[in-house]
Amino acid sequence: MNENFEDELRRRLRAVDAPEGFAERLMAALPAERKSTVVAFVPKAAHPARHFGVPAALAASLLVAVFLGVRVANDREIEQQKGIAASQQLMQALRVTSQKLDLAYEAVNSPPTAGDEENRS
Amino acid sequence: MNARVVLTLVALLSAGPAWAQSKGQLRIPEFSALSEKASETVTVTLDANLLGMAARFLSNEDPEQAKAKKLVSSLTGIYVRHYTFDTDYAYPKGDIDGVRRQLNAPGWSRIVGAVSKKENTTVDVFVLIDGEKAQGLAIIASEPREFTIVNIVGNIDLEQLHDLEGNFGVPDLEIDTGKKPAPAKPPAPVKPPAPAKPN
Amino acid sequence: MSFSATQPMPDSLLAQARAGDRDAFATLVRAHQGSVFSIGLRMLSRRDAAEDLAQDVFLQLYRKLESIESLEHLGFWLRRVAANLAIDWLRRRPYSDTQPLEEGAEIAAQEVAEDPLMSRELMRLLGELAPHPRAVMLLRYQEDRDVAEIAAMLDMPVNTVKSHIKRSLTALRGQMIGAKLIDCEELP
Repeated sequence: MNENFEDELRRRLRAVDAPEGFAERLMAALPAERKSTVVAFVPKAAHPARHFGVPAALAASLLVAVFLGVRVANDREIEQQKGIAASQQLMQALRVTSQKLDLAYEAVNSPPTAGDEENRS
Repeated sequence: MNARVVLTLVALLSAGPAWAQSKGQLRIPEFSALSEKASETVTVTLDANLLGMAARFLSNEDPEQAKAKKLVSSLTGIYVRHYTFDTDYAYPKGDIDGVRRQLNAPGWSRIVGAVSKKENTTVDVFVLIDGEKAQGLAIIASEPREFTIVNIVGNIDLEQLHDLEGNFGVPDLEIDTGKKPAPAKPPAPVKPPAPAKPN
Repeated sequence: MSFSATQPMPDSLLAQARAGDRDAFATLVRAHQGSVFSIGLRMLSRRDAAEDLAQDVFLQLYRKLESIESLEHLGFWLRRVAANLAIDWLRRRPYSDTQPLEEGAEIAAQEVAEDPLMSRELMRLLGELAPHPRAVMLLRYQEDRDVAEIAAMLDMPVNTVKSHIKRSLTALRGQMIGAKLIDCEELP
């Protein structure tokens, strides 16, 4: 590919200025302090059922439901991660496939030079 | 169920790769030693289950992904081994020849075979025709510092493969007509979306 | 605090920003805002979306300053995040609005005053490339990154990057010739 066209592209694609006041608006949107937020898990009281007057069996089944819910959510997340990874692999496979077909296409379309065999399609 | 039937079933189920392999699927070595030597490796092993899972996570709004989704809907496997090296011919040709020999089996036809002695490049494209349908596609490409094996298995719609042109850069090989390929078309137009604030 | 193109930023600026010095962070923003905004603009074709994207990128940077190893890494990181965020946006949001043609010339470099028609057409054609090749072309010709860097930024094989560049150049050049905006003899 000729260098003139690429130089022209570079000229016309030079970065433009960000809008007036961009940095100021950004700084105004930043949190006051730059520190990471740590969420601490605070365990519930030892006998939540007694504390809130909820029957123990119901409290226990609520806890189990929450646990299962969390577990289902985790399983779903794992499944989602697997699916995303598989879809990324798929796209990569198709790109490699297209590159190699491209190579075949170039070989088919290029005029034969001395020492090359003709395409035998 | 008597013991004899049970034993037969167990034998069938544990028959190994030959039983597990679909028509059109090649036995591709793992090349694990090569991965360590290669500067770049792409290893993809997607059977029917993983392909189905992958397709569910492709976007219908992205033109590239939408085409991929359509293409893989009838496939049962995609297998890719692609290696790039820093020195010439760091890979054993014998292993690649082992894969090539499988393509001498009945049903496989070489539809493109290109050799460039100047560039030391060989690219072969094979299709397995079963009845009137393509059930397998294989590409073997060897260049001085790269080699690639691609095996696609399932009901391959060659027209859809043509439709990938411009998005994946798949050229129009006009495989079914046997004519010389047309020049590459420019990428399909993608209209810019209306942007919205991110979540 | 500002630095000109000929005066490199001191490495200590990064450490100061990490320590909470907002002026230092603002300096880093100003040094890179043009590039980040331009990637957003040419990927998404709208100024408002590009500004939103650029703001997102720098907000992410603010949260992740500890992971930035050097000023050079900062440049790499910002372009990587901007390009991938833009690709992600383009994938998730359905097309529902056209980009007004008058904006096309604005999206090109401002100092290229002559031949706005060519700039407008070039930006339109760039906007017709699929997200990945479009990002590759911007990182190559706007940001002047080499093939290996682009491959690392977009998490794609080097040969895929080369293929995208080759095909996109062929397509862009062909369509510019077809639209008689460049003469095939002028650019041999």
